[in-house]
Amino acid sequence: MKNLLLLGLLLSSATIYAEHHGQHGMENMHSHEGHLHNEMVNGKTLEVDAQRFDKFMVDIDNHVVAVVSVQGMVCDFCARGIEKTFGKDKRVSKIDVDLASGKVLLAFSMAVDVDEADITQKILNNGLNTTDIQVVGK
Amino acid sequence: MKVLTIFLCLLWSSASLARPISYVDGHTLMANSGPMADSIYWHYTPNINYSVGLDYQRDKVSNERFPSARFTYLINRKNTDQSQRNLYFKAGVGLNNINNHFYSLAGDWETRRLFSSFSVKQSSGIDYDMLEQSARVGIAPYLGDYGDLHTWLMIETKKDDLDDERITYPVLRLFQGGAMLEVSYHKKTDWGLHLMYRF
Repeated sequence: MKNLLLLGLLLSSATIYAEHHGQHGMENMHSHEGHLHNEMVNGKTLEVDAQRFDKFMVDIDNHVVAVVSVQGMVCDFCARGIEKTFGKDKRVSKIDVDLASGKVLLAFSMAVDVDEADITQKILNNGLNTTDIQVVGK
Repeated sequence: MKVLTIFLCLLWSSASLARPISYVDGHTLMANSGPMADSIYWHYTPNINYSVGLDYQRDKVSNERFPSARFTYLINRKNTDQSQRNLYFKAGVGLNNINNHFYSLAGDWETRRLFSSFSVKQSSGIDYDMLEQSARVGIAPYLGDYGDLHTWLMIETKKDDLDDERITYPVLRLFQGGAMLEVSYHKKTDWGLHLMYRF
């Protein structure tokens, strides 16, 4: 009977866990202290502001998100340049620039292939450097 | 003396400009108003390494107007997670008289909280040469997110070898989105106003 209870508890926990993470359409993701960590397929760990990420995802379905880590993004002018540059790209559905963490979120439709070289070049055209791009939701 | 005054005004306006190179295909429009001159300066960035622009000045004393062409080249940029550092070469030449020209070396280092910059500028008018040096430090009293109103409290000091007197004065910088406003004051030069819009 005790074993049955333990099994039931484990199954319930697993179900709750799966439901929670299913909301984001991602795997192996957990959040604490306002940050979201997602272990990617390639073993890298993605760290973004959980509340910011959730807010970004609110009105977009069937999209993948490129999380771009940028160096040198220290002021509003840098952020504005990035927003304007990617705003001209019709493949990009939504943009979020987080000055505090140096992260840029770019939403692409599932039908679009995310061109990481193009993202890197566009960031460079703003005088900034890309250190990492991770595509979430593939 | 009038030419000297006009050229001093030109230097005044060019010394206080922020980020002389924009993003690729970006335009920047600036307006300056000081005790001796008003000016409008536009520049375009075709490549991340340089920008080209035109400047138009109106001298308030003589009411003379004169245009000039400007070029800025990014010699070096170092980006880190928390900072950006730049070194620029700048040059300008009068379109009415090429004897009016300048060239300068300018640099800045900036985080979201701290700012510092310097400029060394050699200029030539019809009957004179002048070397001007300036430096600025600043602090952001709070850190805003993208789109918020950002505030910088700054101190600038400058000296040229004609006047041979160092002046130091406070500068208040406010910017939001693509717009920036700078206000400075010194008892000798009175109020200075600098507006910038990037698009």
